[in-house]
Amino acid sequence: MVDIDRVGGVLMRIKLVLILILVFSSTALADYRETFEKEFVNKPWVGSKVVEEGVCVDCHTSDVMKPDYLGIPQEWKMSIHYENKVSCHDCHGGNPSDSAVSCGTPHSGFVGIPKYKEVPKMCGKCHIGILKQFNDSKHGKALMTSGRGPNCVTCHGSHKIQKANMNIINKVRCTRCHSYKRAKIMKQALFMTEKRISDINHSIRQLRSSGASTEKAKKMLFRTEAGFRTLFHSVDVSLVKGRTAGFSRKLDVIEGMIADIYKEIRFRKNFSAFLFLLFASLAISAYFIQKNNKN
Amino acid sequence: MKRRKFLKTLLAFFSTATLVTIAYPAVRFLSPLKKKIESKKLVINRNEIAAGTAKNMIYQNEPIVVVHDLTAGFLAFSRVCTHLGCLVNYNGEEKRFICPCHAANFNLEGNVISGPAPKPLVRYPVLVKGENIVIG
Amino acid sequence: MFERTRQWIEVRLGIKEIIDSGLREFYLPRGAGFSSTLGAVALVAFLIQAISGIFLLMYYIPDTAHAFMSVRIIMNKVPYGWLFRSIHMMGSNIILAVLFLHLVVTFYRISYKKPRELTWISGAIMFFLIILFCISGSLLSWNQLSYWSTTIVTYIPTLIPGIGGRIAEFIRGGQYVSGSTLNRFFAFHVAFLPFTLVCMAAFHLFFIGRTGFSTNPGSSPEGDSEPQSVYKREINANGMPFYPDYLLKALVLVMVYLASIFFIMTFFPGLFQPELATVQADPAMTPDVIRPPWYFLAPYQIVKLIPNKFLGISAILILVFIFVFWPFIDGVNERNISKRPLLRVIFILSITVWLILTVWGGY
Repeated sequence: MVDIDRVGGVLMRIKLVLILILVFSSTALADYRETFEKEFVNKPWVGSKVVEEGVCVDCHTSDVMKPDYLGIPQEWKMSIHYENKVSCHDCHGGNPSDSAVSCGTPHSGFVGIPKYKEVPKMCGKCHIGILKQFNDSKHGKALMTSGRGPNCVTCHGSHKIQKANMNIINKVRCTRCHSYKRAKIMKQALFMTEKRISDINHSIRQLRSSGASTEKAKKMLFRTEAGFRTLFHSVDVSLVKGRTAGFSRKLDVIEGMIADIYKEIRFRKNFSAFLFLLFASLAISAYFIQKNNKN
Repeated sequence: MKRRKFLKTLLAFFSTATLVTIAYPAVRFLSPLKKKIESKKLVINRNEIAAGTAKNMIYQNEPIVVVHDLTAGFLAFSRVCTHLGCLVNYNGEEKRFICPCHAANFNLEGNVISGPAPKPLVRYPVLVKGENIVIG
Repeated sequence: MFERTRQWIEVRLGIKEIIDSGLREFYLPRGAGFSSTLGAVALVAFLIQAISGIFLLMYYIPDTAHAFMSVRIIMNKVPYGWLFRSIHMMGSNIILAVLFLHLVVTFYRISYKKPRELTWISGAIMFFLIILFCISGSLLSWNQLSYWSTTIVTYIPTLIPGIGGRIAEFIRGGQYVSGSTLNRFFAFHVAFLPFTLVCMAAFHLFFIGRTGFSTNPGSSPEGDSEPQSVYKREINANGMPFYPDYLLKALVLVMVYLASIFFIMTFFPGLFQPELATVQADPAMTPDVIRPPWYFLAPYQIVKLIPNKFLGISAILILVFIFVFWPFIDGVNERNISKRPLLRVIFILSITVWLILTVWGGY
């Protein structure tokens, strides 16, 4: 038996040394994490985006590119388009999986910088509802006839495109062409509805994280929001004002749906709280019974 | 002894309450799901929709579109785009449903032709009974 | 009438006799307290998982196209589906805490000494089985969080040189986590693991029934003069009877366990469901931050920290080996931890290192 004890003692010391090695190596090589994650993220399972990034981004981040265009991939990666997997060829055309594409060769079907007047057409490939409103608007007509009106990029920028918000309508931007007076009236007309939309959006996010099914409310909100914003592109205050009531009714419906979900969540909370109290009482009474039993 | 009896009664009481509180949800959970679509069908006159056109309407709180196609006959689809939920419109010339938000295109079977939509449109059964069309 | 029915059953089954001879006269050592009931709590916790799991099975669809939706339907359409799913989900996390406490108590009391080595080994195996339960179960809800954490967890075996890639492919049923992974994990979760775990638990209980509960060396030291080759059951004649004293104690902790499930469900419903868990799994969309589930952070951090892949995976395998066969590695016979400073250092150090690695891995 003495032998076993001795062997055991030795093994225990070995284990201790092993643990110590682990601890020390971990503190000494903390920056290994970075390489590890880099390698991990470069695995092919990261998804189809890799193809696109390889073809367009490789040249656009390399030294042969004009400095002005070097930042484009980085800007794009900060945009809502990137978030939703809209990549270069969706707007600029061309075939990213074409093996003939290389730096310096013009790719087939590729559109670089569109002409100033052509920008709405490019964006309108997807945003067709907005394009229609815009073409009929004073902005759109000015662009088409004189070529001096605003296009999409004037307000939304290019590449680093964010989800639009009310602050896009501001004094600096609007007064580049006309007085801020009318723009301000428009902004006021939009304000209440926009605020309600963002409040509902906030509630939906909150509800979603508590596990509730918000899919339907979310879709309804999206189409209401999209409809309202499409309408705005007519830049016609009286039109916006006239149809605000209709949007407001739709928002009422969504708010009703959300109120129902909140009610359901409250019920769940109360129900599980009740069960918690029951089990806590059971625990307490069982505790006293076993205490009593001992005496 | 009295104390012991009291405690036992208390335990029995709480146990019964707990059992009931668990048993009720269990029974509800296991009972068959109620179908709320109680054969509430939508009936319209076939003359309401001319050949080659479509009509938007509401069916069970859901916006739908009923198409009268010359070859395919009467078809009914949900108008809610499967991408983000905008309402698609029927384009009679191209025989397509087009979403105004991000240009998702669906054909007359409801399948995605182009655009960002992940799934086909939801289709509703249509029955032509003489002069009437029954949806649902 | 009631008395006669009881009599009828008693004559045929002899329940009273079983209770009297098997349970009332099964004595625990005198010092046995609540800490001796943790195993029983773990057993009940497992039963709760099994029952709630069977409930979920009635609506769950193990298919990539429907898995996420079916879970959502359970949560929102099926009456009280949320209740059973939440119990299952909260339980799966808290059961690990119970097991961990059970483990710590057993280790601290050095209860794994002869003749209970096999009890420890079967318990250690069950600990890993429960972790496998958690891993395979989390993928079943097919959301972004579970998809990508499974990707990471199944990445760990690829570190084994040579056959590592094959092992990972074998686990996933392909190169990536996909529909076949889901089906494998489903079969594993609902058929293989429950069966294996029940077998292991039966062994575990059999060993306990044979050797009796271990004493708490701190409060009642036991004589150690018997040679190892002779079987001796501890009688503890003046100890605590299994029924009703021990079972009442266990009942208290079981109720505390259930109360804590519902406490978390009431006040922190989203504790184990971050926002990523509300999005359907999308193999083409890698989230910004991907990390394994919390109980896997420590080994993941070890793999990440050790610069050589082979060393990293070896370290983990060695640690697992040491853990499972610890009763044979620790050869000193002294069972009172206050007389074994080195073991105490190991005890505290391994818990601290594990905690540090877990927190560290969380960043």
